Amino acid sequence: MNDPYRVLNISRNATDDEIKKAYREQAKKYHPDRYQNSPLADAASEKMKEINQAYDQIMSERKSGGGASDAYNTDYYTSDTYEGYNEFYSAIRRLINSNQYEEAEQRLNTVLPNERNAEWYYLKAVLFYRRGWLEDAYNYSGTACKLDPRNVEYKSFHERVTTQRSGAAGGYQPSSSSGCCDSFCDSLACLLCCDCLGDLICNQ
Amino acid sequence: MFGYLRPFKDEMKIREYDLYKSVYCGLCRSMKKDYGLRSSLTLNYDCTVLAMLYMSLNNDSYCKEKGRCTVNPLKKCSICRSDSEAFAFAGAVSIIMTYYKLLDTIRDSGILKKAGAFFLRLFFRRSYKRARKSYPLIDQYTSEMMASQSEAEEGNAGIDKAADPTAGLISRICRMICPAGAFSAPAESFGYYVGRWIYLMDACDDLEKDIKKNSFNPFSSVYEGDIVKTMAYCNEVLNMTAAQIVMSYELFPVGQFREILDNIVYYGLSFQQKKYTEDRYADREAVK
Repeated sequence: MNDPYRVLNISRNATDDEIKKAYREQAKKYHPDRYQNSPLADAASEKMKEINQAYDQIMSERKSGGGASDAYNTDYYTSDTYEGYNEFYSAIRRLINSNQYEEAEQRLNTVLPNERNAEWYYLKAVLFYRRGWLEDAYNYSGTACKLDPRNVEYKSFHERVTTQRSGAAGGYQPSSSSGCCDSFCDSLACLLCCDCLGDLICNQ
Repeated sequence: MFGYLRPFKDEMKIREYDLYKSVYCGLCRSMKKDYGLRSSLTLNYDCTVLAMLYMSLNNDSYCKEKGRCTVNPLKKCSICRSDSEAFAFAGAVSIIMTYYKLLDTIRDSGILKKAGAFFLRLFFRRSYKRARKSYPLIDQYTSEMMASQSEAEEGNAGIDKAADPTAGLISRICRMICPAGAFSAPAESFGYYVGRWIYLMDACDDLEKDIKKNSFNPFSSVYEGDIVKTMAYCNEVLNMTAAQIVMSYELFPVGQFREILDNIVYYGLSFQQKKYTEDRYADREAVK
């Protein structure tokens, strides 16, 4: 097995707190929620397992008594947890989970336009997302949320992709023009070109 | 590939920057050796990244040595050398893609540009033939990509469909550089989104020009006379793509060149997006 310290990317002299921190950072990175509906979910969960094992191993070595682990429990996340109300859509979800995208797509396309409900739009969004067609995924999941605003599954997925668009998960996040006296500082800077004075006045 | 994929220099250590430059020079030298001096002219930053990724994923050893610039012998520089196939591969990608890009220009452009591209094509023909001989698969993938690209453009495709051919091509190229099928899932996904990102960056870059000339651009349907607002939208689309790049990248066992590749993924994408979508239009007011 891999060296658990290497897995967590820390030195052997790290304190317990440092280990905990490194573990939390890594666990956040590979958390299944982040890879929700992504074709990389399996690879990420492998990585998550590795991190959990590494953390458990280090902690039990250090405590020598063993003790219960604080590792995140990700067992709650299995792709089969959907309790479909509708056998038609449950079958499509199973197809998506076993990576049979074309078959799933074909079945979805048999639904007539006036019979398309929130779940239809959501599953369509998932299919687009897996293919990497992100704009369509975003638009369809938006429609799913509009049609059924109270559904937690659709909402969490749509929020995730909306966050991605903001640049918080990679890319460029435009600076929001907030702050007490932005424009005042700007005009001041024009006149004086002096950060210290600007700060002095603005922080009063 | 157009050179949008670059590190953000301000966040680099000097030794990282030197190493990055030495890979660039190493690729240039290897291209000269394999495909002739003129092929070095097609060299770009994206292929430098490809060479680094290749060596990193395959754990190929390399060394840095002092030498002179291939193109300008008066200039001294450090050159990265390796027995790895990385340089030959990245060089072939560079030449083949440039060649196809020229074919595309000959087809699409006005008479003057057409003539220029025609001569350049003749100029690169020999290098291209050599590259094609060593890497027939890259040639096949690229020609398939060009076919589906023009099909998408003729059908006035939306953003996703228009970006798909380039994305698919880079995805296949990234699959080729993985050692014997290992971590091909994250590599393919990484390549897909990098290709998509590059295509969309290029579309942003050309938007105003394309609107003026009435040529195809996936963002032109979004544009309603307000370039600042359109660019904010483009940035959102790029962000979503960048988020996927990060997610795929983090599943790679990146070893060598880690700092440089990290820089490109975490700072470079962001910096380039800012440069092309925001800074360029900083002097324009949003239409209210």
